[in-house]
Amino acid sequence: MSSRPYSPLLTFAAALVLMFLVVPTLVILYSSVSPSARVQFPPEAVTLKWFGNFFENSQFRDALVNSLLVTALVTPLTLAIAVPCSLAIVRRRFPGRGLLSALALSPLAVPGVVIGVAFLNFFAWTGIDSGFWKIAFALVVITLPFAIRALVATLEGLDLALEEAARNLGASRFQTFLTVTLPQLRSGMLAGGIFVFVEAIDNFSTVVFLTDMRTNVLSVQAYSYIRDFNDPTVSAMAAILILQSVVLVFLLQRFAGFEKVIGGK
Amino acid sequence: MKPVPVLWLIWPLLAVLGLFFAALLRFADTSLLQQIPGTAMFEGPRSLGNYADTFASPLARKALWDTLVMSLQITGAAIVLGYPLAYLMARSPSKFLRNAIFFVLIVTFLSGGITRAYAWMLVLGNNGPVNGLLREFGLPTVRMVNNRTGVVLSIVHFVLPFFVLTLLGAIRNIPASLEEAARSHGASRWAAFRDVTLPLSVPGLVSASLLAFTLAISSFLFPLLLGGGRVQMFANLIYDKIQSSFDMPAASAMAMIFLVFALLPILALNLIRGSLSRRFGGTRR
Repeated sequence: MSSRPYSPLLTFAAALVLMFLVVPTLVILYSSVSPSARVQFPPEAVTLKWFGNFFENSQFRDALVNSLLVTALVTPLTLAIAVPCSLAIVRRRFPGRGLLSALALSPLAVPGVVIGVAFLNFFAWTGIDSGFWKIAFALVVITLPFAIRALVATLEGLDLALEEAARNLGASRFQTFLTVTLPQLRSGMLAGGIFVFVEAIDNFSTVVFLTDMRTNVLSVQAYSYIRDFNDPTVSAMAAILILQSVVLVFLLQRFAGFEKVIGGK
Repeated sequence: MKPVPVLWLIWPLLAVLGLFFAALLRFADTSLLQQIPGTAMFEGPRSLGNYADTFASPLARKALWDTLVMSLQITGAAIVLGYPLAYLMARSPSKFLRNAIFFVLIVTFLSGGITRAYAWMLVLGNNGPVNGLLREFGLPTVRMVNNRTGVVLSIVHFVLPFFVLTLLGAIRNIPASLEEAARSHGASRWAAFRDVTLPLSVPGLVSASLLAFTLAISSFLFPLLLGGGRVQMFANLIYDKIQSSFDMPAASAMAMIFLVFALLPILALNLIRGSLSRRFGGTRR
């Protein structure tokens, strides 16, 4: 009997699927340094001009700045809302607890376009006219479930004995939270924060309804550019996002561990 | 000293959710109104006219049907492509292989929708590497963008990491020793898998498939970019309604109908969860 519980055929099938997953990423990276939108082998030349184009194009630059500002607001804000509420869901017993955790995750089930149209309609009614705040609020709603899921999973895995020990040694509840609980939440906050960050940068289907003349963001700008031009500037942008996600994955592996992320349901 | 009251911990969440549900309620109300022609405003009296119009429109009915059919195809493809990968990842003794698969899945997952939609436009385009290879071998080229092929392929690619990571958790909860026991009593590898692991993984397979279906049905960006205006999924129809006429009441009614269809699989899961765990028992999720 072989040592492996599966056949070579399975390995082969899985390898094909992995290739299917990887090919687009490789083609984007290749295209970002190609002289034209035509993907050709072997390459005619290698150029970095699309990266230059991306950073020099004023529309892309404005969109990049807006996206970074929105994420810089949304990521910490979402975590700040998610941490206390995850604590309540895991550690406290109160009427409506199950309902609360279901409601907190409910935006996940609503299609992005529906959320976009609903907020477009709602903000027009309430008279809120700032594209920035509209986008930021919608993104907090959309990303909260990601943060709460990651934090609840981490909290459920914590050993209560550590906190009890701190309390027995005379620490106040607040001191215990700050010096014992919070540091143990680091991996959950990192995993949750990364999902929030990526979704906030990447979201298109909701945000496309909320951008205006003054406030564009990266995803919507990339879409307009793809519609109007046929050159690899968007490949350069995509290459930057892919490199960023590789860095984030290493952060995740280093500080939270892949296995833990998988375990967190 | 008493612990912090629960309300203190959850009020920020309640405030955000309150505004979200207020927006959805206002939205449901708007869907009953009528647009004042030539303006972005709307008025009563309230009626179900917009719903009747949507169901009467051949365009909307076709988009709804196409969306359901494509989402089923995508879910099917995710099962066929995703199951082997999840199984290998759950059972492989090699930590390197497990980490490598996980790395590919997460990088794909984190690199974002726009990136992947554009990547597929390049890969499948008439001047892309796939058609380049076909030409190289003297074969006729195939049109894969601005039609369903490109839309379905790109969405399969989008949902696959979600599907695999969800199923993976379920397969890992099935003890490998069960399969080994079957093998040592003479079952072939395939028989051991088919009669032991596969049935035990059904509850996980169901949740992963419903997740894939939910993600597929809400696709918007992929049909927008790879469909080239020729493939209308329901989300795109709503977007076009807003873009072309700014008829918010009609768009709201379409979005409400869409929301119901998108929530159906989740309701179905809750209905069948009990009978699933009774029949297949043992495994969590």
